[in-house]
Amino acid sequence: MIMIFCIETALKPELLDAEAKGLQKKALEYFNINIEDGRTVNLVIIDADFSKSDIEAIQNQILTNPVIQISASDSPLDINFDWCIWVGFRPGVRDNAASTAVEAIRDLLKKDFADKEGVYTSKRYCLTGKNLTYDDVEKIAGELLANPIIQQWKIFSKDEWDDKRASILTIPKVMLNHEPSFQILNIESDEALEQISNERNLALNPRDIPVIREYFLNKDVRKSRTKIDEISQTDSSVVKSNNSSVEPISLADGPTDVEIEYISQSRSDHCNHNTFRGVFRYYDPTDDETVVEDNLFKKYIQEPTLRLKDEKEWVVSVLWDNAGVGSFDDKNNYVITGETHNSPSNMEAYGGAITGIVGVYRDPMGTGLGSRLIMGSYGFCVGPIDYTGPLKATLHPRRLLDGVIEGVKDGGNKSGVPTTFGQTLFNEGYMGKSLVFVTALGIMPKEINGKPSHEKKTEPGDLIVMSGGRVGKDGIHGVTASSEVLSENTPAGHVQIGDPYTQKKMHDFLLIARDEGLFDFITDNGGGGLSSSVGESAQISNGCEVWLDKVPLKYEGLDMWEIWVSESQERMTIAVKPENIDRFMELSNEHEVESTVIGRYTDTGKLHIKYHDKTCAWVDMDLLEKGFPKWEFDATWIPPALRGLTEPVLKEPRDYSQLVCDMMARPNICSKEWITRQYDHEVQGGSVIKPLVGINRDIPSDASVIRPVLSSSKGLAFSQSLFPWYSKIDAYHMMACTIDEAVRRIIAVGGTLSHIGGVDNFCWPDIQYHPVKNPDGKFKAAQLVRACRALKESCLAYSIPLLSGKDSMYVDGYLHGKYGESIKVSALETVQFSVTGVVEDSTKCVTLDPKCSGDLVYVIGVTSNELGASEYYELLGKTGLNVPQVHFEQFKVIYRAVEMAVSSEIAASAHAVGRGGLAVHFALSAIASNMGIEIDLSKVPVEQNNEKYGQTEISYSNSNLGNINNSTLLFSESAGRFIVTVAPENRTLFEKIFRGMASGCVGKVNDDHSNLIIKGIDNKDDDNRNRENRDENPNNNLIANIPIDQLRQAWKSPMGGMI
Amino acid sequence: MKRQTANKMTNSNIKQTGYEANNRRVKVLVLTGFGLNCDIETAHAFETAGAQAHRIHINSLISGKVDLDDFHILAFGGGFSWGDDHGAGVIQALKLKNHIGEKILSFVNQGKLVIGICNGFQTLVNLGLLPGIDKDYQTRSVALTWNDCGNFRDQWVNLSINPDSPCVFTKGLISEKFIELPIRHAQGKFVAEKSVVERLIANNQVVLRYADENPNGSVYEIAGICDSSGHIFGLMPHPEAYNHYTNHPDWTRKAEQIKRNANKAGKEDKLSNIDVTQGMKIFINGVNYMASRI
Repeated sequence: MIMIFCIETALKPELLDAEAKGLQKKALEYFNINIEDGRTVNLVIIDADFSKSDIEAIQNQILTNPVIQISASDSPLDINFDWCIWVGFRPGVRDNAASTAVEAIRDLLKKDFADKEGVYTSKRYCLTGKNLTYDDVEKIAGELLANPIIQQWKIFSKDEWDDKRASILTIPKVMLNHEPSFQILNIESDEALEQISNERNLALNPRDIPVIREYFLNKDVRKSRTKIDEISQTDSSVVKSNNSSVEPISLADGPTDVEIEYISQSRSDHCNHNTFRGVFRYYDPTDDETVVEDNLFKKYIQEPTLRLKDEKEWVVSVLWDNAGVGSFDDKNNYVITGETHNSPSNMEAYGGAITGIVGVYRDPMGTGLGSRLIMGSYGFCVGPIDYTGPLKATLHPRRLLDGVIEGVKDGGNKSGVPTTFGQTLFNEGYMGKSLVFVTALGIMPKEINGKPSHEKKTEPGDLIVMSGGRVGKDGIHGVTASSEVLSENTPAGHVQIGDPYTQKKMHDFLLIARDEGLFDFITDNGGGGLSSSVGESAQISNGCEVWLDKVPLKYEGLDMWEIWVSESQERMTIAVKPENIDRFMELSNEHEVESTVIGRYTDTGKLHIKYHDKTCAWVDMDLLEKGFPKWEFDATWIPPALRGLTEPVLKEPRDYSQLVCDMMARPNICSKEWITRQYDHEVQGGSVIKPLVGINRDIPSDASVIRPVLSSSKGLAFSQSLFPWYSKIDAYHMMACTIDEAVRRIIAVGGTLSHIGGVDNFCWPDIQYHPVKNPDGKFKAAQLVRACRALKESCLAYSIPLLSGKDSMYVDGYLHGKYGESIKVSALETVQFSVTGVVEDSTKCVTLDPKCSGDLVYVIGVTSNELGASEYYELLGKTGLNVPQVHFEQFKVIYRAVEMAVSSEIAASAHAVGRGGLAVHFALSAIASNMGIEIDLSKVPVEQNNEKYGQTEISYSNSNLGNINNSTLLFSESAGRFIVTVAPENRTLFEKIFRGMASGCVGKVNDDHSNLIIKGIDNKDDDNRNRENRDENPNNNLIANIPIDQLRQAWKSPMGGMI
Repeated sequence: MKRQTANKMTNSNIKQTGYEANNRRVKVLVLTGFGLNCDIETAHAFETAGAQAHRIHINSLISGKVDLDDFHILAFGGGFSWGDDHGAGVIQALKLKNHIGEKILSFVNQGKLVIGICNGFQTLVNLGLLPGIDKDYQTRSVALTWNDCGNFRDQWVNLSINPDSPCVFTKGLISEKFIELPIRHAQGKFVAEKSVVERLIANNQVVLRYADENPNGSVYEIAGICDSSGHIFGLMPHPEAYNHYTNHPDWTRKAEQIKRNANKAGKEDKLSNIDVTQGMKIFINGVNYMASRI
């Protein structure tokens, strides 16, 4: 008989309960709720036919550590509380701890679980506090502990506990009681198919609908479908479509739901990149001309990348596989890709983020014949964490950030992959949709068993194997959901929880199988599940037959289409030759990874899906190329000046010391060490340049460097950049500046222009114009065109092939406001640009911290009046007009010189100047070295005249370029600049390298004091500036003298206390 | 067995000293599988120390495909075995104990060496191989639990070494005042009954202590312990992550300063001339010890 057992464990009362402590801290800081004490109790509920002694063995041998824990199995632990909150998963949500418990129980008892038996974990929190009210506790439960999308909770007062506690012994078992079936759909009219699309949440593009109908109504197609129907007799598993007037019953009458789902996901913007492949009618009022831009992807990504691939020997494989491949050394290639996981993370931050990082890690595993993971990174763009305004996001930005940090932490750390780089950005625009970027790098031998590892193919006769996790209802329609603006109807069911443990086992197994030559093709199951992975891989062999009834399920009752498109995680699709299948399965068993043959590749030209021999899909492999119309967009550019943007009218500030400290405390500048330290950035033993550097190891590094091959000193440098603020003025310059900063960052640690691979991750608001729903769609579309133009120009100028990239459209959301109104909030047009490059000798890398007292401080590159959309203007509540511009040809010469200064070990430190300008970055250098730095702003190289770079942007001609004052010098975010420190004895050599270039020795490092001392320039335009300082130091013109401790404190105060 | 042998690692770029030709006869088994993850660098560190390191899946050891008796050092490495879901290292310890517990005890009783790093240390204490007071290798009397901060942390720490400890892995390090290694864990807080801690201190089984701040709330700032014979060593910090001087967080500053000081003295010197990192010394000690006994 099946019984329900509940084993409770908790830390011994005398031990500190860190989880409860963390909860106390958050309740107090976030909601001012005072929990006096808290204890966490872990529940493992076992629903199985076990004896009492079995349960005792589980309790004592697996679940209770006698040194630190107490436990109970026949009654709850007697722990005092005023309120008890129980939190458990909803049915069907991935419960990782339960599945490891199952593994342990099986191994211990040598017993298997029967079909309906299972293990479920949950927690209860015992809280005491004399002032705690039900509302407080409800808030703690709903806003700190649980998310109703994946979890359920119950609250008990002390008095209720005895009577009601049995209610927590519920079991979130999925019981579908559903006979699996497929439907034949009625597509007698466009409207009928549109209705199906709406009802099933397929997000079919209206313009695709006639094409789909034309195919299925085609005479020849119908004839061939009649034939296949006769072979596989229709029977009870086929359900007639309800909304049908003619009640079709044969495959010839219409598509099946499996087929329509397949088409829907393949045609989704997420998989097919319809936006980037669309037609843009781009109108620029400056020249009153409309240009038709047909296929941005082809023109601005593919063409330059292919051109660079021809020029660059190190580019191995681009544009077709799950990730791009570059050459690392004679024997190895590296693999890189980047993804976003925005929509799921906005609904369930932890689940979305862990699924994102674990998911992107499958891309390198599924590139070529598979690579070993060596590195990951993150980028979080969220609303202000202290937001107190009226708009209500699904999750408050603070909670969302907590969740995504934790998700990437568990996903990355438990994968055994170092997370060596990451950035976190705050902006109100991200309250509509937060962005979660995840990047993954792998390494693989150039050749495996004598064959190039980056090539792979499926051949007729190969078996289709699915390895890893099982399939459930989770993740269904994830792809189409991310292709839509979030609305109240978005199904939450696509939120999942990644399982890095299962994936790590699979990763280890697949690398051994690869080296034994056991398979010829591998790809991951991501968006679209089997539909994508099998659908796409069968294009190579030109056909497949899939047996859906063989696919291992988490629980019974899934319809065929659900099995086909489910995005259940941790799965790879692999092509194995019949002669290798036995060994493949043996190895899979040894590693305790589930692998199943689910079909075979053919060359029939058909995608043929069966369920117990009945055909539920039979379509041409080339169906998706059958004349689907391109998406079309109107793109209307309005130059910033025409939009009314102007430079603010400002006089120079008087209190620069306070201003610099306030800049350091800005959310987008301040220290986020608490995030970085939660990520293991040193696993695999190859860490050379860490994410945090400087004497106190707390300053974010320009880039990271790892040695992926431990016996070699060759390094792989990696960096990323995000400059979304500049999109407020012009997304063209946003893109160019983002790439430029990423390039400078990698050069600053020891990278080289000769080898930079790029990854572009676009996150764009909806660009399809609609007079009511998206009135500024044309402008956003023009911004996209401009960003793409800048992408191409930058990549060609800096010779960066785009090894990989993704676009995530629709970063908009509808938020409810104070009066119940709903407001559309769109994120800034954002691109995260990642760069990687091989460092020949990583022992020559440098960090940004000045090393020795007496060293000279140089500013390399020109500072111009480019404060538009700068951090300084944002501090003042202004946008401005003069956005920083990238002058590729001039910059390249400088970058080569910096490269030489670093590789010849003349530069003792190098740092790319970024957000916040020189003031912020001098301050970071000072904090990093803990030594005084003296700066004379009059030595900073500036533009000599307005004509220097030509009038590239006519619309900017009303700007006051050339008007340089102290605030411009300190806070302008001009691109192309570095701060470099040099030993005095190397001065001549250094200056020789930079002869004729914009380079100025602006000061020196001096440990006689520990202040950042800044001497300003004399500014005749401004009559009242710094009168006080000048009075004190009439000749000195000192404008700021700030103790480093004060800078550090300002920089660390906003988020320094977070853990 | 052959398939899982670690790639031969040549170290043309990395100088090494302190071991003899005999070291190559020392065979090290580094466990892999089930979410473990520091196996490659741990194997690399042992190879750099001159030994032969083999990365072996736990199931190969259990099935008997690989025989533990063929090895001299058993390394339990870092990682997240079984996701650490029910206490770090708990399920790994249980599985090994149930399947090859006797085999491991016999390995230990032959005077062979065991090292457990991070998740490996957590496993050793759950197996009872540590603290191994008076050669009792089956009693769980210490634990590694959640850091006081409640979170995973990656940071370098200063460690003081007990010069009177019998631990063979730290022998060559006594001359160093402190060693620096990275910790990377969420469950590294060392906890035990007062009496147990007192015995560990009295027996000099406390090998490493956090010297500056206590990063996780460990009792008596304990970062690593050994059994009473000194053959079994468990530590939370990761010596294998300091296998090369460029792993150290201050290396760029040190390199610059060494270069400058040498310049001033009219000489040439480089940080890379420091042959062996503090992390590597731990592996070299273990390998040298076994090399002298086989």
